[in-house]
Amino acid sequence: MSASSHKASGPAFYALMVCLIIMAIGPIMLMLATSFKTNIDVNDVNVSALFFTPTISNYETVLCNVLWYEPAGDNYCDPTFGRALGNSIFIALVSTAITLVVGCMAAYALVRFRFMGRGVVSMTTLMMRMVPPAVLLVPVFGIWTFQFGLDGTYSGIILVYVAMNLPFVIWILQSFIVQVPIQLEEAARMDGANPLQVFFLVVLPIIKPGLAAAAIFTFRIAWNEFLLGNALSGRSTRTVPVTIVNSITEYDIDWGVIMATGMLLAIPPVIFTFVASKQIITGMTAGAVKG
Amino acid sequence: MFFEFSFEPVVCVGSVKGVTAAPDDWEDTLPTIRLEQVEKSYGAVRVLPPLDLTMDDGEFTVLVGPSGCGKSTTLRILAGLEDLSGGEVYFDEKPIGHLPPKQRDLAMVFQDYALYPHMNIARNMSFALRLKRAPASEIDEKVKRVANMLNIGHLLDRKPAELSGGQRQRVAMGRALVRDASTFLFDEPLSNLDAKLRAKMRTELAEMRDTLDKNMIYVTHDQIEAMTLGDRIVVMSEGLIQQQGTPEELFKTPVNRFVAGFIGSPTMNFLDGTIITEKSKTFVQGEGFKIALPAATARILESHASRDVTLGIRPSSFTTKPAKSDATIDLRLVVSEYLGAQSTLVTRCGDSDILVEHESASPVKSGGMLTFGIRTNEIMVFDKTTGLRL
Repeated sequence: MSASSHKASGPAFYALMVCLIIMAIGPIMLMLATSFKTNIDVNDVNVSALFFTPTISNYETVLCNVLWYEPAGDNYCDPTFGRALGNSIFIALVSTAITLVVGCMAAYALVRFRFMGRGVVSMTTLMMRMVPPAVLLVPVFGIWTFQFGLDGTYSGIILVYVAMNLPFVIWILQSFIVQVPIQLEEAARMDGANPLQVFFLVVLPIIKPGLAAAAIFTFRIAWNEFLLGNALSGRSTRTVPVTIVNSITEYDIDWGVIMATGMLLAIPPVIFTFVASKQIITGMTAGAVKG
Repeated sequence: MFFEFSFEPVVCVGSVKGVTAAPDDWEDTLPTIRLEQVEKSYGAVRVLPPLDLTMDDGEFTVLVGPSGCGKSTTLRILAGLEDLSGGEVYFDEKPIGHLPPKQRDLAMVFQDYALYPHMNIARNMSFALRLKRAPASEIDEKVKRVANMLNIGHLLDRKPAELSGGQRQRVAMGRALVRDASTFLFDEPLSNLDAKLRAKMRTELAEMRDTLDKNMIYVTHDQIEAMTLGDRIVVMSEGLIQQQGTPEELFKTPVNRFVAGFIGSPTMNFLDGTIITEKSKTFVQGEGFKIALPAATARILESHASRDVTLGIRPSSFTTKPAKSDATIDLRLVVSEYLGAQSTLVTRCGDSDILVEHESASPVKSGGMLTFGIRTNEIMVFDKTTGLRL
C-alpha cells in the first residue's frame, strides 16, 4: 500500500491529476462564467473567458416569474424556464417515487417468492433496459399519442420514465434484498408479523441504502432525459433539457440564459444526491445475525 | 378462522367440543405437543420421513443429532416456518399444522440471533407486542422486567451492532420471553458463542428452565447441552428418532450404537469382535484383544454365539489396576491430552483408536504400551450389522 502510494506521487502523477481536474471542472467553470455574462460579452472576443463584469441578469431572466422582486430593465418576463424547472422537479420526483415503490415490491417478490416464470420476468426486466431509448421513441410516441392520449401530459412522461427506470431499480434492489438474512423475516413472522408487516417493518428499513442508491440513480435519469421528454411533453409540461434545446432558435441564441438555466439545472440533483446519500450507510445489517 | 376443522377430516369428532373453547383459554395452560406422522420433502428429496413425537406440557425437550438429521426441520415445522408435506401437529388435541406462526402461541430463539438491526434493543424486544398493539405502558413494563431478568437493562437504547455476541444472545432470548408464549423453541441458540460464554449461558438456561413454567423445545447438535438441559432428550439421525428418554436413560441404556456413540463425552469406543465360548466362559475376541464378559451379559448373548459384534466401552470404563487378567486390554499410547486432573489418552488397538479417561495429576508420556483393566459390567454389546444393542 505505502509502496504504491509513494510511486504514485511523482510530478507526472500530479500533472495527470491537474489535467483530469481541468477536464472535469473546466466546462462547468466555463458554464458558470458564461451564465454571469451579458450576451454582448459572450460574443465579444475581447472579453476574457473568466474575467469580466459579472451580472445576474441572466438568472433574473430565467427566474423572472418566481422572483420576489421586479428585475431591473423592461424585459418581457418569459415564464418558460421557471415553469420548466418546476416541471422537471415534479416529473423527476414523482417518477422516482413511483419507481421505488413498485420496484422494491417487485424486487422482493422476485427474490423471495418462487413462482412460475420468475426467471423469465427477472430476465425480461433487464432486457427492457438493453433497448436504447431511441428505439422506444417512435412506438412510445405512437401509443402514447394515438392510443392513450397521454401526449403532452405529466402522466405520459412520468409513465415512460417509470418504465425506463424500473428494470434497473429492480436489479439494484434485488441484490440488496438478497442480503437481508432470511432469519430476520422468519423472526418477524414468529413475532406475529403478516407478510406486509415483514416487508414494511423489517425488510424495507434494512434495504434503505439500496433504496437511496436507486433513488439517486432514478432521479438523475429522469432529470437528464431529453429524447422521450422532447417527444412526449407539451408546451406546458416541458422539462428543462427540452426547454434549453428549444430556446436555440434561428433568430437568437441567448447563451447567457442557457448557461444560467444549465447551472440551475445542476442544483436539484446535487441536493437530492446529498440528501439521499446520507442514507447510504454501509453495514446496515451489522449485528442482525452472526457471521 | 382459528379453528377450521371442516378441512381436517382426520380430527375425531369427540375433540371438537374441547376445541371450541376460546383461544385465551388454552394459552393459559401449557399444551401437550404431538407430532403425528409428520413428514417433509423438498420436491423428490425427503428430509423427514414420517415422524411421531409427543412432548408433555411443561417439559424441556431437547432434539439432538448430527447436522442434517432433521432436528431443525422438525422444529421449523412446529414453528410454522415450514409447511407440512404430510401428517399433523397437535397442540393438545387441536391440529395447528395449517396455522401461520403468529397463531400458534410460540416464541423462538434463532441460532444466529436474528435481531432487527435497525431497531434498538427495546424495540427489538417489544416488536411482537407492538404488532399486537399492546398498550405502551404494558410494553414498557414487560420489556423492563425481562431485560432486568437477563441483565440487559442498561442496553435497551443500543442497536444490535453495538452489542457483543453474548449480549445479542440474551436479547434474542429476551425477545422470546417478552412474548409470554406457552412454548419456546430454541434453534441451536448457543452454537455461535465461544466455549466459555456457552457454558455460562447454558447454566443460565438451566436456571431459566427451572423458574419458567413453559414448554421448551431445544434443538442442538451438542450432546453436552442436551444432557445438561433436557428433561427428555430425543436423539435423531437421518430423520428418524433413534431413542428418546431422560439423559440418564440414554447414557446408561442406549438402544443402539448410534445413541451410545452420540451421548457421552468423550465418545464411546467401539471394537469389532466375535463372540466365542471357552470353558463355559463367554469372550469377545477381536484384533488385539480378548475380553471376558460378565455372566449377566453372557447370558443375554448365549444365543448369539460366534456372531460378529461391536463392543462399546466408555472411556471412563478403563482402570489402571486390572482386577482380572481376562478383562484387560493392551493399548498403544498415541497421544496424551493432559487436562489437569485427568488426561484423555488416545490409544490404538489394532486399527481402532481408543479413548481412555485416565485420572492422574501429572501428564502421561506418549508412546509405549499400557495395560488397562476394563469394568466389564459397563461394556455394551451391539450387533455389528444392525447396530442394535444386544
